[in-house]
Amino acid sequence: MPGALSDLRVLDFSRLLAGPFATRVLADHGAEVIKVQSELTMGGPQHNISGYFNNWNRNKLGVTLNLSKPEGIDLAKRLVQVSDVVVENFSPRVMKNWGLDYGVLSKIKPEMIMLGMSGMGQTGPWQDYVAFGATVQALSGITHLTGFAGQPPLGVGYSYADHVAGLMGVLAILQALEHRQRTGEGQYIDLSETETMCSLLGTAVLEYGCNGKDVLPVGNFPMHRIAAPHGVYCCKGEDRWCAIAVFNDEEWRAFCRVIGCPSWTMEVRFASQLDRWQNADELNAAVEGWTKLHPAEEVMALLQGVGIAAGVVQNAADLAHDPQLRSRDFFIELEHSAMGKTVSDGSPIKLSDTPAAYGRAAPMLGQDNNYVYHCLLGISEEELQRLAIDGVLL
Amino acid sequence: MSLLMGPSALQGLRVLDLSGEKGAFCGKLLADMGADVVKIEPPGGDHVRRTGPFLHDLVHPERSLSFWYNNTSKRGITLNVENRKGRDALRILARTADVVLETFRPGYLKNLSLDYDELRRQNARLVMTSISSFGQMGPYRDYLSCDLVASALGGQMYVCGDIDTPPLKPYGEQAYLVASIFGAIGTLMALHSRHYSGRGQLVDISMHECLAGVVEHVNVRYFYEGIVARRQGSLHWDNAFRVYPCRDGYILLSLFREWDTLVEWLDSEGMAADLKDEKWRDPELRHKEVEHIIEVLELWTKEHTVGELMEQGQLMHLPWAAVNSIRNLSENPQLLERGFFVEVAHPEQGDSFVYPGAPYRLSRTPWRILRRAPLIGEHNQEIFGGELGFSMAEIADLVSDGVI
Repeated sequence: MPGALSDLRVLDFSRLLAGPFATRVLADHGAEVIKVQSELTMGGPQHNISGYFNNWNRNKLGVTLNLSKPEGIDLAKRLVQVSDVVVENFSPRVMKNWGLDYGVLSKIKPEMIMLGMSGMGQTGPWQDYVAFGATVQALSGITHLTGFAGQPPLGVGYSYADHVAGLMGVLAILQALEHRQRTGEGQYIDLSETETMCSLLGTAVLEYGCNGKDVLPVGNFPMHRIAAPHGVYCCKGEDRWCAIAVFNDEEWRAFCRVIGCPSWTMEVRFASQLDRWQNADELNAAVEGWTKLHPAEEVMALLQGVGIAAGVVQNAADLAHDPQLRSRDFFIELEHSAMGKTVSDGSPIKLSDTPAAYGRAAPMLGQDNNYVYHCLLGISEEELQRLAIDGVLL
Repeated sequence: MSLLMGPSALQGLRVLDLSGEKGAFCGKLLADMGADVVKIEPPGGDHVRRTGPFLHDLVHPERSLSFWYNNTSKRGITLNVENRKGRDALRILARTADVVLETFRPGYLKNLSLDYDELRRQNARLVMTSISSFGQMGPYRDYLSCDLVASALGGQMYVCGDIDTPPLKPYGEQAYLVASIFGAIGTLMALHSRHYSGRGQLVDISMHECLAGVVEHVNVRYFYEGIVARRQGSLHWDNAFRVYPCRDGYILLSLFREWDTLVEWLDSEGMAADLKDEKWRDPELRHKEVEHIIEVLELWTKEHTVGELMEQGQLMHLPWAAVNSIRNLSENPQLLERGFFVEVAHPEQGDSFVYPGAPYRLSRTPWRILRRAPLIGEHNQEIFGGELGFSMAEIADLVSDGVI
């Protein structure tokens, strides 16, 4: 069964997380993604035999290309000619310096769609600022807002913004493809990771603009919703927690029944949803008195059994054994030629007629040079040997 | 208006948006790119309208700022799909649509004979995107979730917060937003394949999976190294970044890049302490004894303002950043220079308000907010009367029967 995007070819210059995550989504759903690498820059998380690299680059073809050589640039342009989409996430000056910016490439292939992802965007006084996921999160406001009330900011414990930017990049590409389908026109997409991340804090931006008060961190407290109990509660065992969210009186009564109606549940200060919300600290302490006696899984099952939203605060080992994720084949296995059996997270996009497919693990460095340069571009094997000797395929 | 503004990427596509909080942003992502998204609310309005914050803190269904943000560029009608006439009207609407977007509990639409099998009988080209807590199948299918529970079960909260604090939920309803982005991508993939197959398909999005799919190092380190990642405050999982206090706020610093430059800078102010020692040039040691480096750096950052450190640091190619509040954001020179924020008119409030602008910029078919979120039933007459051809009498009947 062909994937939804199996008519597309994507030329991928991106590295680290945001770009590779974007092109992995395209590859999982059928696009032929050609990942361009170079021996000269493959260290650290870019190393082909690292879990991090393999996780975000499965299902892609791998070629090597030395872009510091004029012949390397020529080859890159020939690859653009056979591609529908070009993705890069360098600092804005890099593609320009190689002479591979959209102005040049769109003359070679006008119907091509090019996505440039960067920390700050392709224009503006900060366009050359260096940014990683954590940088973007700090600038966007989410680091400041992710914390406990009155405490220093903690932020999101990983490069969330890179995932978000990757996904928004995919969305922008698919929207540009719709336009191309109708008109035959390609276009350029300028994605600033900072702006993308800000768009996920829209309500906070409006709140500040409309009501004039700066927005402050609230921990796990439901600031804009009368819900209580609402938070994570310490359970039996080491660092085990269960999230519980009670949204109305009916759920509260079910909650009281399931924990055996201890006397504190009858107290006047917990009588209505508003009372409980206003006395959340006392309520949370009382709830935790119960949760501490039970394993988190048991708390979740008991509460879900009576129609209350509850969930274990799952760690990596919990995720790997999560029955719901397993039943939907969320984690997939692929054989890697150097690392053996590898496990990674599959696509959360479940399409009934054109499902995602997982053909192979991430490529070894230059694994597909022959297919791409010889079969696709028609370069003879002798010529390829010469290019290799001249250091163009490093 | 569209003539003045140029072409839109999704012009000509119609989306029926039956979604609540889990999918409203999905509809927005399509509407702001030009799709005709019709928000279908129950009579009286979506319950999300009761979620704050509210304009000037006055609780009212037409003043919910989260509803405003997540429903821009849509038109709005009311329809009671639990009523027979309401279901008939939805089937008629489905014949005119390319996409139905819904976030009901699995099985709800089937009980009303409005599930995908039924709707595709009306329209074989229809794409249906269902965003739900756990997906349309599996042992948790009927479990309840929300932004907090999704963040917990998806593996996000366990690695957010400090080692001596409870796990912490990232700010804002990120679970709904991420599920919505995946939903919008799935929808466009289904529309893309429809160009070849001529047929629609069902897109099943589990919010739980979406979260478990955006936790960066968590799954990778477990499957490759057997490491169960823990919380460690603002210190990045690979120790590369951490938040530091300054005289006037907080800054995010990188610890390992351009080490010599950083030490020289500290030294020029007499604050390098022992970091000048040759041994610290070894990245392994810096990684292992990061706590000491943090101590020295913190004494230094406290002497400076956020702005001067960020500006100087970025000049030296250090990926440093101010830990911005939303107030800071609204004054950010880069965002202002790029015209990121947009004003959206709300005529009935006699005012316009500042919204975040484009999440990405397409050169030919720019993102835009066509209009503010719809009022309750704002386009009933236009759509039922003008487009579906219901007579005035029929519409009056629908109103008196509580259908719209």
